[in-house]
Amino acid sequence: MKPQVAFFDFTSCEGCQLNKLNFENDLLDILKHIDIVEFREAMDDKADHYDIAFIEGSITSPSCVERIHDIRRRSDILVALGSCAVNGGVNAMKNLHPIDEVRETVYGDDKYLFATLPAMAVSSVVKVDYEVRGCPMTQQDFLKLLIALVLGKQPPTYGSPVCVECKLKENECLYNRGMVCLGPITRGGCDAVCPSFGQFCTGCRGILDNPNIDGMLEVMTSHGISLDEAKKRMLLYNSNEVQL
Amino acid sequence: MECFSLLRSDVPALIDYLGDFGEVIAPHGKGDVSYSFEVVRDSSDVVLDYTRTLLPLKKMFLPPVEKLMGFSLKNGSYEQEDVIVAPRVFFGVHSYEMQSILRLDHSMLSGSAESNYFKRRQSSRFVGISFEPDEFHFSESVGVVIEEMEGFDLFLNEVDGDFQLYVLTDSGQGMLNGFDKINLTEPEVVEGRHFKKKIRYHYNRLPRVFQYAYHSDVWADVASRCVGCGACTLTCPTCFCFDVQDEVEVTAEDGMRQRSWDSCMLSTFAEVAGGENFREKTINRTRHRLYRKFKYITDEEGLPWCVGCGRCTAFCPAGISLPDIVNELIQEDEKAQYHRTVRV
Repeated sequence: MKPQVAFFDFTSCEGCQLNKLNFENDLLDILKHIDIVEFREAMDDKADHYDIAFIEGSITSPSCVERIHDIRRRSDILVALGSCAVNGGVNAMKNLHPIDEVRETVYGDDKYLFATLPAMAVSSVVKVDYEVRGCPMTQQDFLKLLIALVLGKQPPTYGSPVCVECKLKENECLYNRGMVCLGPITRGGCDAVCPSFGQFCTGCRGILDNPNIDGMLEVMTSHGISLDEAKKRMLLYNSNEVQL
Repeated sequence: MECFSLLRSDVPALIDYLGDFGEVIAPHGKGDVSYSFEVVRDSSDVVLDYTRTLLPLKKMFLPPVEKLMGFSLKNGSYEQEDVIVAPRVFFGVHSYEMQSILRLDHSMLSGSAESNYFKRRQSSRFVGISFEPDEFHFSESVGVVIEEMEGFDLFLNEVDGDFQLYVLTDSGQGMLNGFDKINLTEPEVVEGRHFKKKIRYHYNRLPRVFQYAYHSDVWADVASRCVGCGACTLTCPTCFCFDVQDEVEVTAEDGMRQRSWDSCMLSTFAEVAGGENFREKTINRTRHRLYRKFKYITDEEGLPWCVGCGRCTAFCPAGISLPDIVNELIQEDEKAQYHRTVRV
């Protein structure tokens, strides 16, 4: 039997799931390998058990916690999909401010009606087996993981910085073009898509293990931005990963 | 060795002429301020005065990403990728770059030859060119002068804006047959081209410096600035490490095995089964990089495995300078020796 696959969204823009529907050329090939049994953006059906559950979005409220536990109980393999699910993503910027202040800003006088938690990675609440990083995750990355799971292999992991892929493509370094790029400490696997098109890396795939944060801040400030700006850029996608 | 004069304005004509002997590959402008070796489409696009290309000429023999074989899971079969390379002429190559190819030859072809490299390396010819050292070149300190002609078939030495063309091999001679824009002349020695960056010791003293530098404090200082991006090793012309990975297509039936350049500066490089990492800290990795250039291979071959192109320094986002590290090690070594002497 083909693996029963489901997609779920939590706090996110839903872009990571939605681009599954944009596979176009590959969609029919994919459906040869899997049965999609639950996918709110594409169908009405529901299922009780999932071989693979893909989770998009971060956990930001008590009801999210309840729901993700429920999904986890009914799933064999659980995969975090995209930056929000993997480490909290841009949502986690709210964690840099006192939670009451955040609630007040968003809901004003009605803040007591909305329970909220700091934005958390899915792995902060339940066990996550695999992850697909990026904002949004790339189709290629997702397919590699899916095919590996279908074949019963270990999906690829990425431990090298974005700079590696940039260098292999012989891109001119954006630092040489007067930009400040997070490529040196950001997890690669994206094929350096942003720098290849002249956009500096914003760190959407998360920070590498054991990064040299002080060294990186030094690099950024020595290329013309303030320490404050450098920290903000580093925190954009990685408020939950970096302590500044 | 014959020497001819050649006007700068006639160089494009020479490049066109060389086109008869194979695909010509030469330096071109890339991006805002960079250069890269590309196949010549229009000889007037070739840049004669360039500092250094982003990737070394190595990329033409050991491609950054290379398919090694295709396989089918369905049939359980595989097919090795054929490497067929037509004759190529590499034009406008600096002396340090040529030296790096000769060192790569040693790394890839001694013992059991790496067949893909060998096939690409065969039937290639090299036309060298002199260069004006910038603040990063230091090749003289590792024994490679601007006019070092080893390995070249032809060499263009710039003299007062125009060129002197040296014919170094029969093959070079053969490529010039019938080219009428050159005149026999007396070789001149060009004065006034100086390296701005230098290593303070002759390179044959460096293995001894490195012998005592393993526990130096310099490594911790370098590691505190290094962000571990791998740019130094990925742009290095003598580095040759690669990683091999299998990828399966979305049909889950066919796939391919490919290799891509790897770097010992990356924390994943020395990661092994079980999650152990035998060069876990940046300090271990920065040290290893320099020992690969000045000690381990040098002990066996008698030559530094660095050619002084300056790429690792020029392309380091943190501005870490290889010759500066070596000079710091030398300074530390001198201090240590001084104390030893005083005690005696």
